[in-house]
Amino acid sequence: MAGNGAIKRDGGKGVKDMVMERIKSIKDIPPEENMLPGTPTCAGCGGLLALRHCMKALGRKIVIVNAAGCFTLLTIYPYTPFKNSWLYTAMACAPAGAQGIRDALDILIKKGRLDPDENLKVVVLTGDGSAYDMSLSSTSGAINRNLDFYYICYDNEAYGNTGVQWSGATPFASKTGTTPPGMLSPIGAELAKKDLFAIWNSHKPPYLATISPAHPVDLINKFKKAEQYKGPKLFIALSPCPPGWGIDPSYTVKLAKLAVDTGVWALKEAVFGNLKHTVVPKRFKPVEEYLKVQGRFAHLFKPVRQEGALNKIQEGVDEYWNRHKLLL
Amino acid sequence: MYRLRFHGRGGQGARVASKVLGTAAFLDGYYAQDFPLYGAERRGAPVAASTRIAEDPIMERGVIPEPDIVIVMDETLLQDPLTMPLSGLKPGGIVIINTTNSPAEAKAEYKINANVLTLGITKIGLDMLGMPILSTLAGGVAARIVGLSEDSLTEAVKKVLSSIITDKKLLDKNVAAALYCFNAITPIETKIELKTIDTNKKKSTVISLPFEPAAVSSPAINATGNTPLRMTGNWRVFRPAWNYEACTRCMICVARCPDGCILINEDGYPYTDYDNCKGCLICVEECPTNTLGKVMEVHAKKVIGN
Repeated sequence: MAGNGAIKRDGGKGVKDMVMERIKSIKDIPPEENMLPGTPTCAGCGGLLALRHCMKALGRKIVIVNAAGCFTLLTIYPYTPFKNSWLYTAMACAPAGAQGIRDALDILIKKGRLDPDENLKVVVLTGDGSAYDMSLSSTSGAINRNLDFYYICYDNEAYGNTGVQWSGATPFASKTGTTPPGMLSPIGAELAKKDLFAIWNSHKPPYLATISPAHPVDLINKFKKAEQYKGPKLFIALSPCPPGWGIDPSYTVKLAKLAVDTGVWALKEAVFGNLKHTVVPKRFKPVEEYLKVQGRFAHLFKPVRQEGALNKIQEGVDEYWNRHKLLL
Repeated sequence: MYRLRFHGRGGQGARVASKVLGTAAFLDGYYAQDFPLYGAERRGAPVAASTRIAEDPIMERGVIPEPDIVIVMDETLLQDPLTMPLSGLKPGGIVIINTTNSPAEAKAEYKINANVLTLGITKIGLDMLGMPILSTLAGGVAARIVGLSEDSLTEAVKKVLSSIITDKKLLDKNVAAALYCFNAITPIETKIELKTIDTNKKKSTVISLPFEPAAVSSPAINATGNTPLRMTGNWRVFRPAWNYEACTRCMICVARCPDGCILINEDGYPYTDYDNCKGCLICVEECPTNTLGKVMEVHAKKVIGN
């Protein structure tokens, strides 16, 4: 199994033989903060919590390529919360920007103008609108070219930055600015959420994982494991969004936990296409527990209970876990 | 013409407050405009919204640079150099501040040279709605000041909110809260004529945008990690408060804070960086013991720097 000592499949060349230090509890999370407070993100931002832990795992020798989205607001002139460099790109081309930076760093090292110790990890940071919709082709190309980069997608299941409009990541029956529940469509969004994990996994990248801000130990261990591979290392973080999902800011972490405990958000990883679930709840909670606390699903309960839609969501979750033979 | 400007924080409801007022004025037979002004920021960040009310068609457009009445829905904004809610206030204008202080105290504290009215609407919002959303309350206050009728206010609250919320009970609570605020405030005699239509901008209509070289017009940030200077601590409605007797140093709060605002002291105990804590209260929700509780911010000024 990859990750325990020496690596056999390296997807190319030059994998460092390194020993992984897995952490066991919240107390082992590195104390250094690589992203400082004072950012303009909403209070209780789930994506920011996920990013904070990602930054701890990645360290400071990185350069972030940020596609347009909520997190482009982290760095507004003249302020930045980061200790590393940061580049802003349009929504559709962050992986292309990463290719440019990676090539520039490689050429500088090759020519001897940059000390190999000064090498930087290239990290793409995008929201779900970019990852699921606009930059899907750009990411596909980058994975196909085996570009050595990290990709962090903070998935808040809508275009949150522009006022919560429907995106390819919006789940079935969710209310968004462009899918309001009404007379014609009482359930809100009628399309299912894209399975971006499966789309990316069909490229068989060296490392691909889903992460959650409520499981920082799992998150950091996944980054440590990914570190040994050269090539695309991709992460999708479910990011509860207080204004977009209609929840109190204090409820972000509880909701991220509920998403995992109800089976809505499967925490998993795939190494060269081989799938493995990292956190499987012992007993799945009913999906309704996750839905009823969110304003974006309130129309499924009031004024009329939308039994059909609720059953369809539960069946979708059951079908997923049955398919992976993990439903007890 | 009445020109009003609402200053609040994203999520408090400045936009809806201006809409409630504009709708109420319209129902009373006036011409009205209401519109928000967003910055590139999020919930908790300063937001402004404007309403114009007149007896004749309104020919003015755009942001109100010289308001007659300013409604400050968050007291901490008065000290925010980037917001400056009182800028452009006309001589003899009225300032309504959401504070528990008396008008005289607020006048002295913030050195305001205008008519000041105060009402602690955050407290009213928490008592009557159960949450610090002040849209209908501020709308109610403003409706009283400009002399609109109670019936139009009730209708306006119902009309505006029914497109936002489906909860009938919450809607009724909002109507009650708006009327409570409407009756709780005593209006000041104003000399603003509803009939006067004047344009307060008589400058050139052409805006000149001088060309700057790329190095100036798209500057690079060469500092690292300087966002703490922004002091997002003044976003809070509630602050997390510590009771160390119960603390087991489990570090759960540290791992759960999205902003990394919980630091560790020399003895290994966590504490809050109140300068930057946005008050999301995830730490209070997640604390497995009774170490963390929440306390309402009465006066952010006294808290920052503690």
